Amino acid sequence: MGDSRETILGNVRGALGRAPGAPVSSRPPLVAARVPGSRDAEIDRLLSEISALTGVARRVPAGQMDSALQELVHSQSVRKATLWSTSRLEQLGLVSRLGSLGVEIVSPDAGAAALADVDLGITEADFALPETGTLGLFSSPTQPRQVSLVPRIHLAIVHPSALRADLHEVFAEAKQRHYMVFVTGPSRTADIELTVTIGVHGPKVLHAWVVD
Amino acid sequence: MALVNPKPQEPGRTMAAKIQLFITCLAEQFFPTVVERTVELLERLGMQVEFPEAQTCCGQPFFNSGFQNEARVVARKWLDIFSRTEGFIVSPSGSCVDLVRHHYPELFPAGTPEHKRALEVAARVRELSEFLVKELHVTDLAAHYPHKVTYHASCHLLRGLGVVDEPKTLLKNVRGLELVPLEGEQTCCGFGGVFSVIYPEVSRSMMEDKIRAIESSGAEAVVACDAGCLMNIAGGLRKTGSRLKALHLVEVLTANQ
Amino acid sequence: MNPSPSQIDFRTNTQQVSRQMVTSVRKATTRFLGTRAGVVGQVANWEELREAGHNIRLHAINHLDHYLELMERRVTEAGGHVHWARTAAEAREIVLSIARQHQVKLVVKAKSMATEEIGLNHALEAAGIRALETDLGEYIVQMAGTGPSHIIVPAVHLTKEEIATLFSEKLHMDAPADPIRLAEIARQKLRQEFIAADLGISGANFLVAETGTLVMVTNEGNGRMCTTLPRVHVAVAGIDKIVPDWESLTVLLKLLARSATGQKITTYTSFITGPRRSEAEQGPQEFHLVLLDNGRSLALGDPLTRETLLCIRCGACLNVCPVYNHVGGHAYGWVYSGPIGSLLSPQLLGSKIAGDLPFASSLCGACGDICPVKLPIPQILLHLRRRVSEGDEIEPAISSRFARWGARVGAIVLTRPWLYRLTCSLLKLVQVPFRRDGWLPALPPPLNRWTMSRPLPVFNARFRSWWSQHQSTLKRS
Repeated sequence: MGDSRETILGNVRGALGRAPGAPVSSRPPLVAARVPGSRDAEIDRLLSEISALTGVARRVPAGQMDSALQELVHSQSVRKATLWSTSRLEQLGLVSRLGSLGVEIVSPDAGAAALADVDLGITEADFALPETGTLGLFSSPTQPRQVSLVPRIHLAIVHPSALRADLHEVFAEAKQRHYMVFVTGPSRTADIELTVTIGVHGPKVLHAWVVD
Repeated sequence: MALVNPKPQEPGRTMAAKIQLFITCLAEQFFPTVVERTVELLERLGMQVEFPEAQTCCGQPFFNSGFQNEARVVARKWLDIFSRTEGFIVSPSGSCVDLVRHHYPELFPAGTPEHKRALEVAARVRELSEFLVKELHVTDLAAHYPHKVTYHASCHLLRGLGVVDEPKTLLKNVRGLELVPLEGEQTCCGFGGVFSVIYPEVSRSMMEDKIRAIESSGAEAVVACDAGCLMNIAGGLRKTGSRLKALHLVEVLTANQ
Repeated sequence: MNPSPSQIDFRTNTQQVSRQMVTSVRKATTRFLGTRAGVVGQVANWEELREAGHNIRLHAINHLDHYLELMERRVTEAGGHVHWARTAAEAREIVLSIARQHQVKLVVKAKSMATEEIGLNHALEAAGIRALETDLGEYIVQMAGTGPSHIIVPAVHLTKEEIATLFSEKLHMDAPADPIRLAEIARQKLRQEFIAADLGISGANFLVAETGTLVMVTNEGNGRMCTTLPRVHVAVAGIDKIVPDWESLTVLLKLLARSATGQKITTYTSFITGPRRSEAEQGPQEFHLVLLDNGRSLALGDPLTRETLLCIRCGACLNVCPVYNHVGGHAYGWVYSGPIGSLLSPQLLGSKIAGDLPFASSLCGACGDICPVKLPIPQILLHLRRRVSEGDEIEPAISSRFARWGARVGAIVLTRPWLYRLTCSLLKLVQVPFRRDGWLPALPPPLNRWTMSRPLPVFNARFRSWWSQHQSTLKRS
């Protein structure tokens, strides 16, 4: 194996005419970053981009959290839910609110088989990119990866502080993290006769609620 | 590319502007009328047309089939002939001009006298429609052709030389001519030089698509600016028994019915 | 897919292409080109992005040794393992040994051209390990036992009726010919497999050297499943996938999705740096990266062919290629098809095997114009034709003696004006028995290769005599 490494690097260097440790010029320039609009305009853009991808995107004022949850639970027949335990989600009191709607809370670490039977997974977006309707999610013990992937419905709570102008800003912060996933709309495919089909492996329904 | 642009000529005024005619081997073999009409048109515009008689072929068939040594030999001969001449080198075939302008300089190592000559000649060579519009600033040739015509964009003219609008601008100013759009105007007709004989079935299939598009354009004639495409399209029309004509641009620009 | 085809006969392959394949492929390419044009039109600085993308990719490739070592160091620091594979066989052996070490019985795979290239599935199956493609298109193609016909939509050549029949037979059920319900069946079937799998295998769209991060773009979510649920994640990636830093992705991600599917961004983009960091976190416990050479370093040797490695596998060149649109993906005989296949296959497999492919192009140039990273595809095709015809530093010539002899004679004729003029006169003479109404409808070999498809105009080299007459008329007047 060590041989292969040396052979490949040797061949690459030979082909490029480079000696080991030869200097590297700086990476060529990028394209200028996007200039964001006002906060309201950015939120509007985020919501419209997600909606265009058949996501359900809306503002949910603090006082309307219960009714929004109730509507989601009833319209999607949610029986079981699982969620991240970030401080903002805990402040929103989602566990007790869902409990009072009769929804059973399943631990995100119950295992993929158990989560496959869960209707709703709730996360909190670490980043939101209005330009493409993209939500960025990190991974940590309180931000388990399966919550946004395995349940049938994914609800992402978006605080306006998560808004970023574009990829330049997100990457400057995210490159320190060991895992991130961008979610842009619900899972989709067009592999059979190019018919767009929503929800093939990942969540079939994506909700993004902008909560102040 | 370091191009030295000869000064643009004004038609009619500079009586003695010399033009070197680059007829190309395909046009010589199969479309002599196109070459003759090119001479007549340029002379009518006040050009003094010269024909370097030693010319044969630019070497494109070799170049495109990977025989670069042979392409180089033929190119050297071509350069010998044309670098002794003066003025613009004008040709009624886009792909041959593309070869001379963009690929001749690649055939010879930078710094050699041949490379220098290739660059010098590359700066002088023009496809007919770009010569008329960009150098002579002529867009109306007072031609008369009262028919519906559609235009096929030859690949090397379009993508190699970047000649997009010139032929259409010239066509639009022909009296009585109605230019109708061609679906897939910029899609290859399937000629591709050696491609058409290496993979004749695929080439035919592409040609048939082109013929279908031409037929459904409602035109009475299709115009192109490259002998290769014209051989292919004219042959395809002939094969399907179509009454549509395949014409070189110059045939329309010199029509006076 | 056969990892090592013995000889790709493009002409024979094209003659076996069904009309339905062509129709389906064209439906896909037309759709992709249409949506691509829409989203590209919304980007004011698209050309600037292409230029930046080209420069960044070229910079990465020109300093590949540096970035590969950096990538290796960062992945290792993040707790992952890096393996180097010179050949397809070495890469298969590396993956097999990881699988054996973990006593793996079931592998779930995300869509990956690199693993198709090395024929990984066959190797796993031969070792008694089930390997399941999970991208819907690949799942179907694997079930059908054929290869992908399009880089983005691998099963586009199959109708919903054919897929329903396939599902009914292989999954022992009554599957309806409805794309949405077929996708639902695949979802249900594959969920069980994702949960049961011991090992997830993915490719990579990009490898970010500065942090050792694997970037993967998908739409279905199967890629996330494969890299989230199994306890071990193995990524197989060509050494050409390297980019210097995250900032590079601000350009490349914008180019990729728009060019591939006409999306502004794909549904999911995963950025994975090593395994999970603690037992309290979800995700694979082990992360392996297999860096695959398999002929790529050979392509680096020439400054022009080197640019082949700039490719970001969007498939736009397939969509726009008139040849691909008439033959579909299978005619190219290996995993890569269309113009990029005509560049990659001869370089990775050698001209003896894939030397037909550089000629499978009319050189119309549409591929070069659409390429999001401005790969000079026609120029590289020409270079690879030269390799076949007269040989270069990488390979000796493999063209027939007849072709080489023909070229030599042709050059002799064309550099002697008297001989050329003589030939013109001879052609006019010998054609006489074949003339019909101003055309040559049927000619003997080798010119029958032309006339089998359309007649040839008659040889009519008369301009020189016209010219001398014309000259004397001018002088007289």
